[in-house]
Amino acid sequence: MEMQSYNIVVVEEKYMEIAAEKHALEFKSSMVGKALKSLVTNYLLIVLIAIIVLGSILSPYFLTSRNVGNVLTFAAVVSIIAVGQFFVIVTGGIDLSVGSMVALSTVIAAVSMKGGTSPFIASLLALLVTGAVGGIAGLLVVKAKIAPFVATLAMMSIARGTSYLVQIGSLISIDDEGFIHFFAGKTAGISNPVIIFVLVMLVSAFFMKYSTYGRRLYAIGGNAEAARLSGLSVDTSIFSVYLLNGLLAGLAGLILAAQLTQGSSLLAQGYELDAIAAVVVGGAALSGGSGNPIKAVAGGLIIAILGNIMNLMTIPSEPQQVVKGVLIIIAVVFIGGEFKPTLFKKRQKNSA
Amino acid sequence: MNETHTSVYKTKPEKKHGEVLLDIRNLSKAYPGVQALDSVDLQIKRGEIHALLGQNGAGKSTLIRMLSGAEIPDGGSLQLLGKNLTLRNPMDSQKAGIFTIFQELSLVPELSVAENIFISDLPKSTFGIIDWKIAKRRASDIMKWLGFDVGVDQQVKNLSVSQKQGVELAKALHHKAEVVLLDEPSAALPQPDVKRLFQILGNLKRAGLAIVYISHRLEEVQELCDLATVLRDGKLVDTYSVADTESSTLVRAMVGRNVNSSLLGEALAGVGRPRIGTGSYGSVVMSVNSISDGSMLHDISFDLHEGEVLGITGLLGNGQPELAGCLFGNRSLSAGTIRIFDREIRRSTPRSVINAGVGLLPEERKTQGLVLGMTIEHNMTLASQKQFSRGSIIDNGKEKSAVDRMMKSLDVKATGPSQIVGTLSGGNQQKVVLAKWLISKCRILVFSEPTRGIDVGAKEEIYQLIRGFVSEGGSVIVISSEIPEASMCDHVYVMSRGTFAGDLDFQDIDIHGDAILQYCCS
Repeated sequence: MEMQSYNIVVVEEKYMEIAAEKHALEFKSSMVGKALKSLVTNYLLIVLIAIIVLGSILSPYFLTSRNVGNVLTFAAVVSIIAVGQFFVIVTGGIDLSVGSMVALSTVIAAVSMKGGTSPFIASLLALLVTGAVGGIAGLLVVKAKIAPFVATLAMMSIARGTSYLVQIGSLISIDDEGFIHFFAGKTAGISNPVIIFVLVMLVSAFFMKYSTYGRRLYAIGGNAEAARLSGLSVDTSIFSVYLLNGLLAGLAGLILAAQLTQGSSLLAQGYELDAIAAVVVGGAALSGGSGNPIKAVAGGLIIAILGNIMNLMTIPSEPQQVVKGVLIIIAVVFIGGEFKPTLFKKRQKNSA
Repeated sequence: MNETHTSVYKTKPEKKHGEVLLDIRNLSKAYPGVQALDSVDLQIKRGEIHALLGQNGAGKSTLIRMLSGAEIPDGGSLQLLGKNLTLRNPMDSQKAGIFTIFQELSLVPELSVAENIFISDLPKSTFGIIDWKIAKRRASDIMKWLGFDVGVDQQVKNLSVSQKQGVELAKALHHKAEVVLLDEPSAALPQPDVKRLFQILGNLKRAGLAIVYISHRLEEVQELCDLATVLRDGKLVDTYSVADTESSTLVRAMVGRNVNSSLLGEALAGVGRPRIGTGSYGSVVMSVNSISDGSMLHDISFDLHEGEVLGITGLLGNGQPELAGCLFGNRSLSAGTIRIFDREIRRSTPRSVINAGVGLLPEERKTQGLVLGMTIEHNMTLASQKQFSRGSIIDNGKEKSAVDRMMKSLDVKATGPSQIVGTLSGGNQQKVVLAKWLISKCRILVFSEPTRGIDVGAKEEIYQLIRGFVSEGGSVIVISSEIPEASMCDHVYVMSRGTFAGDLDFQDIDIHGDAILQYCCS
């Protein structure tokens, strides 16, 4: 009895050529279609556009370049930590220490510049420290098998406390022009924080979609056991996302420090929750394995823009919080690609 | 059966054996791209055990899910004792008297036997306080009637699979079930418990219930069932009286073609015993030297040769899953060595075993073998990231063409490589796991229970794929608690109490596997 399936191996070469040609053809004809389709199926983009339209109707000031620039510049810090948080969440983890790490970064940068260190070294030092904090959280999760929520809850407290200790006393101002310009200035009319966060987002999105690293993270978040039994280095990958998240929180801290020209242990309170909200509104499941960095940033922007619209309409901050909470619920139910089908259709399992 | 026990399930006078209990007409259900059920007509009568047969994707599970209220049909009607039924959810079904016992039992592990049986209606005394005395007595009566001697205060998690099934049945009886559907109940049962299950089902049948029995094991159907209905591609092929039908007829009806040319067909036609491998093998590729795990396993040694299909079998609970764990690098060794292609595996992890050229096909496809939420394509290339990337950037074209080719050659039934794996049928999911390792170009495959929950047709395909793999110079270890499956291997090791009790060459195994059984019980 001959194995049909293995005869295929003989014609392998030929088939590969045909497949490659076909692939190339399909690629050209489907590009436009795909772009259109992604526009329609991407609820997130529709909501983002709808909110922008709403804003421009409600306030004539909304679409001015000044306001748009302000919103984006203001959103840079949260966008960067949202990308970091996304890396953690996609593996099925969570990091509560982000806000504390941002504060720690501002303090380390400010204190070391005050002590005469060059802004470059000071920045590097801040990144090193927050990277280490993230790395320790990663080790606790991977080696000590502590649940991410608990491990990072502890690191949240440790990082915040450390920033108090390093700071000694009240906030420390930053006056190094070079530092302030690099992290809060403008290049060719575009604010540097915006350039940095867009770069971070695009590079991350590229790696999530096209690299083996990204594929590994999705697989681990989807089913860590299956990933491990497929020979993937699960522990190393999980460690790496906490490390990466620490570095990105450090970067966000440098931007915040430059924007506010100060380092303080009181900064960035609750930012971890803003980052989580952004990722969730961006459609990623907290159980892991879904979403992408661009969606996470878009989720954060939706929250930020809505806040801006309400500010322009001079709505006080208390009702704003209520609106924000409602928005998160609505977004998760209606925007999150993962949730939509189960809400309106019965979930379909195996066809028989 | 004494007085208290008969009161548990009274055979009411109006319960006429042979009357139509469940009348299914024109039942249809479509999923995107598949007509899962295509106007099926079926009558289930009181006092009969009715087998439901069919390959994966034939529509058995869809039918069961609709009868249990888990899915809503697109069209058709259901009648129970002449009354129209609309089943919107599992509660509707149970109220109507239709109980389904799924492979994954639906008991609450932390609760006691009695609490599980009375889960929705614990008896209450005057002040709305639970009357434990009545609950326990009644629970223990039902369990005894079923033939289980189980303390009803025990937590369900401490019970054996067989006892858990008993609790499910007791729950059904307590809720006055008329029809009981069982989905592969024997798949996870050791042989003596299967016998007991059959006795219980016989009692239920005599008490006037209708039983719908889904199984892939034709011997069981022949032993237990009165009628067998075969489904194929969502359509009902025919209903057969089991006593008057050859099993080859049933297989032919399920597969839809003449199976005489196939592996199992050879056996059914009496040509000889089926054999997965080719029977010729070369040098040693993997050598396991007196390994122990410090608890279950001790002193296990064997050699695997190029082109060999090596079977490891035994009764449940004798260490096969533990041995699979050791070979997967998932369970640490306390003694002994494993050499793969002259490389000694020192720090045994799945990764080191895989890097040495081994592919792992675990017992639990859904929780260990696949990332259910990912696409077929991404699952298939999960173990071959290096092959499809340059400097860690994935080469999409190369990946896609390899996946397309593999989907064709393994005949994976799907809408395309971007279909989510969780939506495939069991047989197709197993093919995706297999494809993952074929793509990785590994030389040794270790299967744990390769065909569990897979029907005859897909089983056949899996065996054919294994044969293809070894005829190309690969080697395979099949760890299986199904003795007929193990007896198709070139060489079989039999496990008993955590070690090898004996080994047999293909030639030494008789058609019933008696030689294997003899070692099992040693």
